[in-house]
Amino acid sequence: MTLTQEAPPVAPARAVPQKARRRDGLATTIMVAPATILYVVMLIIPVGLAFYLSLTDWDGFSANPAFVGAANYVSLFDDPDLRRAALVTLLVAAAGTAGLNLFGLGFALLVNGASKANTFFRIVLFYPHVLSALVVGFLWSAILGTTGAVNNLVTTWGGEVIPFLSDPTWATVTMIAVLVWAGFGVNVVLYLAGLQAVPHSLIEAARIDGATRWQVFRNVTLPALGPSVTVNIVLSLVTLLKTYDLVVSLTAGGPAGQTQTVAYLILWNSIHDSRLGFGSAQSVILMLVTAALAFVVTRLRRRGELAVHQ
Amino acid sequence: MRSPHPFLAPTAIGCLLLLTGCGGGGFAGDTQAQQGEGGQVTVRMLVNITPNLTQAYWDGLVKPFEQANPGIDVKVEAPTGKGVADTLPQQLAAGNAPDVVETLTADETLSKQMLDLTDQPWVKDTPLAKEASLGGRIYTVGVGVQAQSLVFYNKSAFDKAGIDKPPTTFEEFDAAMGKLKASGVLPLQTGGEFLTGLQLLQFSNPSRAQLHPAWQQDIKAGKIKAGESMLPLLERYRTWIDKGYVDKNALGMKYADAETAFLSGKSGMYVMGSWFTAAEAKAQKDFEVGVFPAPVDKGQQYPGPQGATMAAPYMVLKSTPNKDAALKLVQWLVTDPEAVKSQLKQDGNYRTGVDREFTPLEKQVQQILDTAPSGTPQGEGYGDATLPKGFNAAWNTEVQGLYVGKSPKEVAEGVDRWLAGRS
Amino acid sequence: MTRKTFLWATVAFMLIPLYVLTVNAFKGQQDILSNPFGLSGLTLEPLGRALTNPQFNVVKGYAVTLLFVVAVNVLSVGLAAPAAYVIARSSKRRFRVLMLFFLAGTFIPGQVLVIPVVYVLKTLGLMGTIRGFVLFETTLTLPFSIFLYAGYIATVPAVLDQAAAVDGAGRLRTFWQIVFPLMRPAVATMVILNTFSVWNDFVNPQIILGPGSGLYTVTTGVYAAVSQFSTDYTVVFPTLMLAIAPLLVFFVFMQRHIISGLTAGATKG
Repeated sequence: MTLTQEAPPVAPARAVPQKARRRDGLATTIMVAPATILYVVMLIIPVGLAFYLSLTDWDGFSANPAFVGAANYVSLFDDPDLRRAALVTLLVAAAGTAGLNLFGLGFALLVNGASKANTFFRIVLFYPHVLSALVVGFLWSAILGTTGAVNNLVTTWGGEVIPFLSDPTWATVTMIAVLVWAGFGVNVVLYLAGLQAVPHSLIEAARIDGATRWQVFRNVTLPALGPSVTVNIVLSLVTLLKTYDLVVSLTAGGPAGQTQTVAYLILWNSIHDSRLGFGSAQSVILMLVTAALAFVVTRLRRRGELAVHQ
Repeated sequence: MRSPHPFLAPTAIGCLLLLTGCGGGGFAGDTQAQQGEGGQVTVRMLVNITPNLTQAYWDGLVKPFEQANPGIDVKVEAPTGKGVADTLPQQLAAGNAPDVVETLTADETLSKQMLDLTDQPWVKDTPLAKEASLGGRIYTVGVGVQAQSLVFYNKSAFDKAGIDKPPTTFEEFDAAMGKLKASGVLPLQTGGEFLTGLQLLQFSNPSRAQLHPAWQQDIKAGKIKAGESMLPLLERYRTWIDKGYVDKNALGMKYADAETAFLSGKSGMYVMGSWFTAAEAKAQKDFEVGVFPAPVDKGQQYPGPQGATMAAPYMVLKSTPNKDAALKLVQWLVTDPEAVKSQLKQDGNYRTGVDREFTPLEKQVQQILDTAPSGTPQGEGYGDATLPKGFNAAWNTEVQGLYVGKSPKEVAEGVDRWLAGRS
Repeated sequence: MTRKTFLWATVAFMLIPLYVLTVNAFKGQQDILSNPFGLSGLTLEPLGRALTNPQFNVVKGYAVTLLFVVAVNVLSVGLAAPAAYVIARSSKRRFRVLMLFFLAGTFIPGQVLVIPVVYVLKTLGLMGTIRGFVLFETTLTLPFSIFLYAGYIATVPAVLDQAAAVDGAGRLRTFWQIVFPLMRPAVATMVILNTFSVWNDFVNPQIILGPGSGLYTVTTGVYAAVSQFSTDYTVVFPTLMLAIAPLLVFFVFMQRHIISGLTAGATKG
């Protein structure tokens, strides 16, 4: 600030505003620069680096990575592991998003309104979000594993072991179910917030006109919730596309690698197999797919909202 | 009238940055601290942590060394990733590699980061040093030998099923499993995680080594295909699943689950390496455990070559700033009689010429090792007989496919496809 | 009636894992295996062992994690709020582009970044340090924070700033004294979100802090303690319980502020 004060005044008549403007210019820089610099150094440069590394065959530590051009991207397409992981990831994202939002919206409608009981319900629905996905996974694998709590009970009663985590289909379903269990409380809270914005008078009016509960929901509540739905879907999608922690703790990618997600494979390739170049190529693809999906969903939803409003 | 507020926020952030900086217990500062304090050096050793080898065990193991060498402080570090194999590359990438690493053996990639130990006089007499050498250079030294291809069995279950002598061929093995099954016990204990593939590799060594003595080298040279050469065994495994000789839900069990299940009498046999004897010695159970070398094909020599791996292999990182201290530590770990004995006992390993107190089961394992014709590298292998990094994990994933409906042929092709993609 | 029954059934389903965790944290291996849902043979011994586990010092894990949460939140608010203010109040193309530039960051999964970030931090000499970790975690919070703050500031009438400017206040002062206090709901939302994400983060501390630093957060500590002995349920259950109990208690007491805080900023923004 002292620097600006010492600056020689130019045209005396306009000295004050110019000084103020320059002072403001400096202030603006002070306000924007730190965040921008940090963002560039810690996020943009790494993204660029990931792209550069994806064009090499680097193992992560030896001296001279060789430039291999698009070779990593070419081998991505005939890598059966990645193909499977991509399918699993898309399935988890699609089914998970559907589950999170159906349960989220459904329960939001059920626990809407101020009462002691509703507060309690909200706490219970939300609490798994407080736990890390890692803890959630360990907990459920102790409950659902072949020798876990549930199967112990089942076999004591003379039943057959339920292959929650040992059959690929079961394991995938189990994983999606646990993701929904752990996450839909957040969607409940976000939808509840959206419901506050629905004009009460509209609902009353519709009721008086003799509309059924479903008709009110379909024609009044849902359209008014439009923006909430978009936010919820995009958030769920972006979160689920990077599912990693839960894979580590719940299934460790098994059985037979059938529950490996793309994020899991990226870290496995980059670290365990020392194929950093290949892993980076997967990273770049995941980044592009995530951005594209989020963009498409936002666009579709916006069009949907417009259609509803017209 | 100026309020101090506008400056409060940036100042607070500045203070915080300083604070986190000063309070930071990162290793960036540690490296400098090592040379300080009047000649005291710290040797960082990354070790494997298992139910046998706990952090407390490692700390206790190096204590006598620290007492004998007051100038050296040994810092035992546990892996943060899945294991040492995941953690070391991370550390190399981050530029904070330890001085000594335990558990891994040198391959072509790793050896470039490791100190060449060939000219150290004490290296020659350590077990398997020559076998694990790479192009004639020794990078890895170990404490003993792990026998891999052992089948542990529940003697009570064998008696009950009417099996009077352990099987020696695959046919006899299958017949024994049939009897166990008929007597109402799960014949063979398998599991998920890395266990599925490991057990099949262990089981295959004695027969495979007679058919393809230089399996890893032949695969690398393109003379044979890994999956194809294992196809008969994969087909056999498939029949075990179909007949219920192994639990079809085994993949939902972790390594330790499987061990516990066998030790609590839930299954008749368990294929595992010699370190299982340490767990067996600690377990309370109401039956006796026996052991026999893994069976072979009809007409092959029995017992066949044992799958042998180096027990507690150590390497010194080339980048170490404390080369002398690190070398001294490793030399002590693999040659000091007490240190060797302690490590052998703790993890159920063996070394010719080193006698320690044996449990009856351990005595049997020592006998098996003494009578086995030779050792053979297993799976990914070591030294010159090394397959691309990650082979064991890929093999494991593919073998698990047998449980989820893949045909043995598909599994074999999957293994070969993986290898083709890495060469 | 049916609504209530259904909700209570759901409550039971939501709480079963917590119940299993809690009762089994106080049982021996045999009791856990033979009767996972029962209350027989309760003992404090496993909990005591978990508290003194050399692999995972629970108290230190909490202290380290708490330090990270506080540092990241302070830095994140301190950096994102003023930047968002400038962006929201300017009609210049430059700042519009900057907004989009930050917005793009919300779609970049953290796992994708963590490997290349290792090399950036290494170059800066910050790898494996608290500073490096805090700076990276802060960066991950910036895109969404700026997005949310900018949206919120847009709802604050610009007349307020102009009045302050007429009074001769500089931009910095106008922001911190006039606008920032009005942003409380949005800041609260972000602080809550960031607290959860930093507290529960696993990959980033695992890779950036690594073994050499000797620093464990609650999650990486749990991983170190649990993954190796995953069948010794007398280790698994008490460790998991220790890892979540304080946080759950905190959540139950603060739930009103947390849940309303989460929505207040989000709806207006």
